[in-house]
Amino acid sequence: MPRFNIFHTKVDDILAENEFCEADFASATADEKESMIEKHKSISYWKDAARRFRKNHVSMVALGVVVLITLFAFLGPYLIPYSYEEQYRGSMKLGPFEYSESEQLASDVLEDVDVVFSTSMMSGSLTSLKKGEYTFRYQGEWYTFTLKKTLRSGLLIYDADAAEPLYTVKEDDLLEGGDYETTAVAYTVSDTQPAVEEDHVIKMISSVFPHVFGTDSAGRDIMSRCMYGARVSLLIGVIASLIVLVIGSIYGAVSGLIGGKVDFIMQRIVELIYSVPDVLIVLLLQVVLQQPLQNWFDSSTLPLVKALSTLGVGIVSIFITFALLYWVGMARIIRGQVLMLKKQEYVTAAVVLGASNRRIIKRHLLPNSIGQLVVTTCLQIPSAIFLESFLSFLGLGISAPMSSLGSMCSDAIDTITVYPYRLLFPAIILSLLVLSLNLVGDGLRDALDPRLKK
Amino acid sequence: MASYVLKRIGSAILTLFVVAAATFFLMNAIPGSPFITEKSTPEQIARAEAKYGLDKPLVVQFAKYLKGYLTGDMGVSLKMQEGTSVADIIFHQSKFTLSIKVGLLALGLAVILGIPSGCIAAYNRGNWLDAILRVITTVGVAIPGFVVATTLLVLFGVQLKWLPVLSGSLETTAAYILPVFALAFYPSCYIAKLTRASMLDAINQDYIRTARAKGLKTGKVVFKHALRNSLIPVVTYLGPLTAYIITGGFVVETTYSIPGLGKYFISSILNRDYPIIMGTTVVLASLIIVMNLVVDIVYKLVDPRISLSKGDE
Repeated sequence: MPRFNIFHTKVDDILAENEFCEADFASATADEKESMIEKHKSISYWKDAARRFRKNHVSMVALGVVVLITLFAFLGPYLIPYSYEEQYRGSMKLGPFEYSESEQLASDVLEDVDVVFSTSMMSGSLTSLKKGEYTFRYQGEWYTFTLKKTLRSGLLIYDADAAEPLYTVKEDDLLEGGDYETTAVAYTVSDTQPAVEEDHVIKMISSVFPHVFGTDSAGRDIMSRCMYGARVSLLIGVIASLIVLVIGSIYGAVSGLIGGKVDFIMQRIVELIYSVPDVLIVLLLQVVLQQPLQNWFDSSTLPLVKALSTLGVGIVSIFITFALLYWVGMARIIRGQVLMLKKQEYVTAAVVLGASNRRIIKRHLLPNSIGQLVVTTCLQIPSAIFLESFLSFLGLGISAPMSSLGSMCSDAIDTITVYPYRLLFPAIILSLLVLSLNLVGDGLRDALDPRLKK
Repeated sequence: MASYVLKRIGSAILTLFVVAAATFFLMNAIPGSPFITEKSTPEQIARAEAKYGLDKPLVVQFAKYLKGYLTGDMGVSLKMQEGTSVADIIFHQSKFTLSIKVGLLALGLAVILGIPSGCIAAYNRGNWLDAILRVITTVGVAIPGFVVATTLLVLFGVQLKWLPVLSGSLETTAAYILPVFALAFYPSCYIAKLTRASMLDAINQDYIRTARAKGLKTGKVVFKHALRNSLIPVVTYLGPLTAYIITGGFVVETTYSIPGLGKYFISSILNRDYPIIMGTTVVLASLIIVMNLVVDIVYKLVDPRISLSKGDE
């Protein structure tokens, strides 16, 4: 039986090992002391959550997509020369990367010259430069010239290498090919901006920017409209969620903390709103709110109202809808959390110390529900975007000239057999946005509240 | 049980009343009169309003609506089909049947597609089939319904030309395919996710271990023992599903130009035809509320684990 033999022999060894020798009583060296110091810093809740979130590859990719779309929406409009509401003449119904006749001409001309201005590419109803004094900026200098007669469907060209650098050409002459007649324009150069009327400062272009996504039937640039649509979606998502956060968390916390009859009545109200088929009411609400909101915007002079009116009636009425109907989910979650938390010792301690309900909610209950608050708010963003696009698609949300991804999709349906790509771009951006926001929300839930992980 | 059912019925009636009241007061809050046109004089408007009782106080009008609904009289259309009874418009013209047909087919399809794919995913947990299904369902529940509807339209109607672009009154079988699929897409994905999750939950239960210990085949264990019990969450989803089918129907009918009730409802809002707005809202809301009621009761019946005394949290 070797097992028992081993036991017997080991006992002496162990005893021998436990005997102290001189060296055991020497004081520890600096190195040894150092190694005894606890080196772990305590990891904060947020750091821990961030670490867990970073490990979740799907959510990280989704976050990347959200950031890209946000940049597209908020920086994009500064990078492209087209505006979301302007109808570019002659540029109607262009496919992706297609040029209108005038744009093609201008871009051909630009192969030989420096900068160009084409009256046919001007936006809106202006198609000509009337006679008068104009100025443009090129390489840091201001060039001022006077048109002696109206320039209609023509090009103003600046070519530094030519004998007479600034001249105009009729577009028709260029289109016919061969030799064309140029009219030289006299000009002066100065360092500072000359005093001419604001709309007489013209923008010369050195290259024709393509309509990357094409244009719609009214000649509006679809990419620019997509950017503004995405911007509207993101704004609605974030602001509506914040509204839900404020109303829902306060309602839920009050209801949970006070309890008793107050809680009973508050919960019956929540249940009632919960069981009402929301969309039926929301559709009606959109129509009801249009007129009164418009009147309010027109009559009020408060700065807040002015700010709201720049957003437009459609967006604000969606905010009101969220404030009225969609906070109940948040209220339920926070109430549940508060019911759990209010039995904790630190809440009891706060009560004993005489803290008011407001202070308990502000200092103890809500900060301890922060995970739930963040996750529920984040998951509210895609659903707000969802609702806005749904309403706009049905023609009850945001309408032209303001752009919305939902209304762009519904506009595209009328011409779907001829221009299917018009549907493609807004639909893809919207889907990507909603999908990635959902995935980010899921990732946050897993990171902030590991107990909820499925 | 009886007291629970009574309580639930009571709250369902209250909800319906709130919906009716909210609709009534909201639609009357739209400024102006439904009879304002470019040509109409104030006298004509006043006469038309008097004819339909719109000059009476709102409370009186609302009471009249309620009394009418209790006796099955839903009033007559003011504008869209002037003089026709709302009940006739909703129930006896083709609109309701069209919407109901598409809705029921989509509901059926969602269940038929969703439950088996959820089972397959749970059964193949962790392998490629599960991964593919998970990607599809995750995308499916996130993207908006109208994107699905319009994308299907571009793909199969415009590019491949397999199916008609305009479904119209659904006279051919081919015309049904796109609307029904578009409407069923989201709920099938949702049901698949739900089934997968609750199947995985059920597989870890003791009675499954018992069934395995008895020597039953895996297939039998999964489909007989686990599936039955994991269908309960799916049953509870039928309430929200009905609501989705109705609101999704608005989108699908708009996309495929189907002259159904959803499309009619939206134009009734834009036209401010009060009795039609009211009638349609009450009918659609009743469908949703009754479905929720039935689901709640069935839920407690099929799962004895749920205690009745605890209320309806």
